[in-house]
Order: sequence, then C-alpha cells, then structure tokens
Amino acid sequence: MQPILKIDLSSRQIEHYRVPIAWEHDFIGGASLGARLLYSSIIATLDPCSPESPLLFLTGPLTGTAGPAVGRFVVCGKSPATGLWAESNAGGFWGPELRQAGYDGIWITGKADKPLYLWIADGVIEFRDAAGHWGKDTYESQDAIREELGQQGAHVAVIGPAAENGVVFAGIFCDHGRTAGRTGLGTVMASKNLKAIAVRGTGKIPIADPDGFRPIRSEANRMLKNENQSRVIRELGTAGVAEYADYLGSMPKKYFTQGVFDRVEDISGAAMSETILVGNSACHACVIACGRVVRLDDGEKHKGPEFETVVGLGPNLLIGDLPTITKLMELCDRHGMDTISTGGVLGLALLFFEKGILTEKDTNGLKLTWGDAQVVEELIHRIAQRKNIGAIMGQGTRYFARHFNQEAMAVQVNGLEVAYQDPRGVSGMALVYATSPRGACHNQSDYYFVDWGQADPSLGLEYFDRQAGAEKAANVAIHQNWRTVNNALVMCIFANNPPEEIAALVNYACGYKRTLKDLLLAGERAWNLKRAINIRLGLSAVNDRLPQALMQPYLDGNSAGYRIEFPEMLAAYYQARDWDAATGKPTKEKLITLGLEDVAQDIW
Amino acid sequence: MTVMFPSPEWLKALEDKLNSDDRYAQIAKKWEGDILCQIEPDGLLKESLFYYLDLWHGTCRSTAILDAVPEDKPAFILLAPYANFAKILKGELDPMQAMLTRKLQVQGNMALMMRSVPTVLDFVRCAREVTTEILS
Repeated sequence: MQPILKIDLSSRQIEHYRVPIAWEHDFIGGASLGARLLYSSIIATLDPCSPESPLLFLTGPLTGTAGPAVGRFVVCGKSPATGLWAESNAGGFWGPELRQAGYDGIWITGKADKPLYLWIADGVIEFRDAAGHWGKDTYESQDAIREELGQQGAHVAVIGPAAENGVVFAGIFCDHGRTAGRTGLGTVMASKNLKAIAVRGTGKIPIADPDGFRPIRSEANRMLKNENQSRVIRELGTAGVAEYADYLGSMPKKYFTQGVFDRVEDISGAAMSETILVGNSACHACVIACGRVVRLDDGEKHKGPEFETVVGLGPNLLIGDLPTITKLMELCDRHGMDTISTGGVLGLALLFFEKGILTEKDTNGLKLTWGDAQVVEELIHRIAQRKNIGAIMGQGTRYFARHFNQEAMAVQVNGLEVAYQDPRGVSGMALVYATSPRGACHNQSDYYFVDWGQADPSLGLEYFDRQAGAEKAANVAIHQNWRTVNNALVMCIFANNPPEEIAALVNYACGYKRTLKDLLLAGERAWNLKRAINIRLGLSAVNDRLPQALMQPYLDGNSAGYRIEFPEMLAAYYQARDWDAATGKPTKEKLITLGLEDVAQDIW
Repeated sequence: MTVMFPSPEWLKALEDKLNSDDRYAQIAKKWEGDILCQIEPDGLLKESLFYYLDLWHGTCRSTAILDAVPEDKPAFILLAPYANFAKILKGELDPMQAMLTRKLQVQGNMALMMRSVPTVLDFVRCAREVTTEILS
C-alpha cells in the first residue's frame, strides 16, 4: 500500500502513515480497513463534529487501475445523523487521482482555525484559505477552486452550504455531482472548517504483477461491457429498473404508504432515454457509464437522476415528471445534501401535513401538498438553510418525528432514512436495512438484485422467492459479506463480473494468492468489526428493527397483502451470523475465529 | 403428445400456445418485437440452433427455424448454451436469474425489455408449459 496522509488541521501537522501489513492483508482496503484503523477512536463519548472526530478518505487496491468499475473512494468516520459507524463512497475521478498523487488515503483530525481547503498534488501539500469559497454551492466551489489553482485537471471533493449549516445528512461531492451522500460525513467535514480537498496526481498506480493483471482486467472489462445488467444501466441508467421494481411492488410511493402511482412509466430510465437524455457520463475507466446527462428546458445540459433520486424525489412525493425531479436533485446536489435522506424527510413532512400533525403554523404559511414541486423546492431551501421548519427537518427524519412525538412514523433505521427498495416487494432488504452497520442502507447489500435473480452460485448464494422469509437469512449474510468486499475494494456494486475474476484481479494487484473464500472471510471479518464498533457505541439487538410503515402490508400494487415475517427472519439471521440473540453481539467464538481477539475482549 | 425441446414440433407447439393463452394475450398486449433464440452447442447439442418467433400484441404471427442470425436483425436475440435453455425450460433456472448471472445474454432494445419484463416472464411460462421432454 502507498502511505496514508495524516493531517491534523488544528496543528497543521502532516504525517505519512503506513498501514500495518497484517491489517492490509486482513481488511484489504476501503471501508473495511477504515473500520480497523478507526476502531479505537470511534467511541461512545466522541462527538462526531468535535475536532477529535476522525474523517478518513480511503481508496482500495484496485482504485485507479484499468480494472472494471474501480474509480471509487470511501469516506469513514462517526455519523452525526446516526451516532454510529459511518461510511459513504463516491465515484468519479477523485480516488484514482489521489492514488496517482502517491497516497492511498487521507486521515483528517482536528479543526482549522478558519475555513480552508487542502491542495494535494505530486509532492505538494498546501493549506489554502477557503474564506471566499465558504457558503458557495458544491458545483460553484469545485469550479472556483480549480480556477484558483489554475488546475483544470484537478479533482475537488467539496461540501456545500447544507453541511456548513449543520444539516446531518450533508454529503461530500466531487466531479460535478458524484456523491458520498449518506451518513452526514459532509457535516463532519464542515465541522473541521474544511471546505474541500483538491487533488492532482500523475504517478503510476502500483500493481504487484502488471503482466498477470493486464489480461484479466481486459477480459473483465470486455465481459462487463457486454453483459445484460451493464447494458441496461448504460442505456437506461440505474432508473432503468423502475418499471420492474414497480411491477414487483418494491418501489415505494407516497412515503411508503402507497403501492401504486400512475406516472411510473413517465419517470423510468426508459422514459428518460426517450425524452431528455442527451448523453452518458462515466467514472474513471468505467465501461458501464451509468451517469446520465440530460437537457432541460433552459437548453443546458444537467446531471440526470439515478434510481434512488428518481424515486425519492418522484413517486415518494407523488411527483411524476423527470425534468422536475432533475431540478430538485440538482438543488440538493448544489446545497450538498443526500437525496435519499432529503426525499425521506420531505415525504414525512408531507405525510405529517396530510394528517394534521404539521400545520401552516409550523411551516410559516406553507401549505404542503403531495406532488407540489414548488413546495418541495421551498422546503429543500429551508432545510439547507436550517430556516424555520427546515431547522428541524435538517436533523433527519428520526429527530423530526420525535419533535412531533411521532417517532414511529419515521421510515428510518437507527437514524438513517430507508432507501427506495421496499422490502415488501423484495424481502431480503428487510434484513439488509435492519442490520446494516450504517442504518437503513441499500449499498451494504443490494440484495434486491438477488431477490430479482442475481444469485451467483460461486458465492454460495441460492435463489429464493422474492418474498420468501427466514430461509433466505443465511443468503443475505453471504451477500453482505461479499458487498463488504466490494466496499473494501471500493468497487462499484454494478460491476457484475464473476466473483472469481474479481479475486484474481485483487491477487495480481496486491501480490496475494487468495481464494474467493478468503475474500468472503475478509468481508465477514469487517462486517463483524463494524458491528462491534456499533455495539461499543450502544447498539444492541433492539436496534435491529424495521420501521412501522414497512411492517404494514401494502393495500394496493403487486405486493399488496404481503407481510414481512421479520422476527423469524431476524432469528435465522442471528443464527447464520453466530450473533448472540439477547445482546446482538457477535459471539466471542465468532470474533476469535475471524482473528478479532482484541475486539472480543473489548465487547465481552 | 410428446413435445421435445429442441424440435420443429416444439416451436410449433409454442406458437400455438402463445396464440391461445389468454393470460399471455393480456400481459403481452403492448409487446411489439420479434425474438430469435440462439441456442449454442454444448455437450448435447452439436450445432447452433436459431428459433425465430414474430411476436406482436399478445400473439405469435409466425415462427421459423433459421440457419443463422438474419441480416435484418430481430428486435431481440436471446443467446445461451443449450444447457442453460434446458434448465430454464425445466424450471431449474429462473429466467431473471439467467439474465442477471450472465447465463443468458439479451441483445436488443433494453428500454422495451425493461418495460416488458412481465411479458418475457410469461413467454417463458408458456414455453415451459408446452415442453414435455428435453434432449438429455
């Protein structure tokens, strides 16, 4: 591994940190390595927005190579939204650029005495004044910093005004609209007076055996480019699955209370490709190119929305118009807010208003109506600015609902808003949301794909009915382990390559001789380590739950009447994981088997 | 009557089924596009087979066994080794699983395909229902 740049913003001290070889081997990189590195510092008494709070940017061993879909980086820390382990990854070019600059990560602590940004280029590390950039939106500030540096080739990871104002679901943005959106790490960055990190590198990405690596990555890219899932995502974007998700009754509408919305066909990826789409965008060396470029009525090109944003700012709010969704998304991006969480808190506000829990008195005269995009736009501004009702909404749905004594109505798990793959249509997501180490997240396992059929036997996955119950619990655990490997490699989950091929790429990149089983074990190790971090932060078995809305069957749509057998599923999951049913802790024996003796000692 | 896959009788039986099945007629009423099943040889099958079906608004207008992929390409080509087609017809492999795990390649208009997954799944149901025997 290349060194990690350790920077204390308070003292402006810089250190080149070398990761212990054993940790590099056992945790691979990315979020898994991040959990190991931060294990001792993410503790219950740590305020996520204090100077002591760490903010760790990491890449993986494939990042920046010409391998398949490996342009991502991850940010780790403690979440101000959940109080738990936080990780969030983003695509684009920033991660590859950092590795080319000679670093595999940046480990930030402390707090700058005034707003600044970091400029990291080949051999250069500078603290630069950001007073003129503070308050600017994420798109403007990326451009302005590049301009100021005179480096159009630089890649800039920035925060927006929402983070500066303390919105707990503010993200970190780079390469226009590529987003590490979830868990509020932008807010942590803002608390350090750190507006941005600009990077530029021209070095070579280290590969242990380039001759062995080359033919495998070449075949991996050829295969990936031509396989069905990639072709759907390239041609239609991730929202290409919208009609199918709707058909299965796994696309929530009207804040998870409705199974049918008559405008789904107008907001799908297919509809986008037939109307406003004018091009694709891709992360570093990616042959999928899922990014959408659309043209709106202003005649300008804009980033187009992906599935989660389409649903979160569309059917979730009963909005059925793609240009409108695109504009609302851009507003969230510019303010620097996660669209999944923003969609969640907006949906809850509309539901509260419908039920009379929230009135015009609370909203300063704003009448909240489903499908009213102008009202939604106004609320987005108020959230970002923490203005009147927006000040409460900006604390996330859990806080917002508690404020009105309606916590049960918030569709969230452990403080993170549920993503828009409804477990009533794809039941595996029930366990994914309930047990994810960062709250209700769909990227710790995109098990909805397995419920649709992506059950790869080489991983040991079986194919179960999409609404099967406890019998799929062990399958979910395997898939989470595999996606933990993805998040360690910081490899895009849309890289539908044969798992053995990915193992071969890791071996050639790192000089290992590891089997697919070894990689899955590394995934399981990190999954349990993140669990242990959360246990120390106060999480227990009672936190592994689903919100009330998801426990109610839909009354309409293609999943109507289906009730998730959650207690049975969770019991089977605990058994598959070897977790203690009473406390929710991984058993001592399990932790020792995974080589986590120190952790076993800490939590038992 | 025994209907063995693959055979001309099987293709004809499927055509008849698609033209008489009310459920398929309803689900596929918006479908417009011909399909070519390109069945690639493996241990049991010695050479490629090309089964063509012209599907239109819930009916099958014609079928044919071709020698190769025609110059005027059909709207969709479903390509897989014989063993995978056989597994799908036997119900051992879900068609979505086949598409998502690289066992069945789909070429064609993906927008139409993603809007019509229920039609594709019902097409497979019909194919399964006419299959009484499989080359093994």
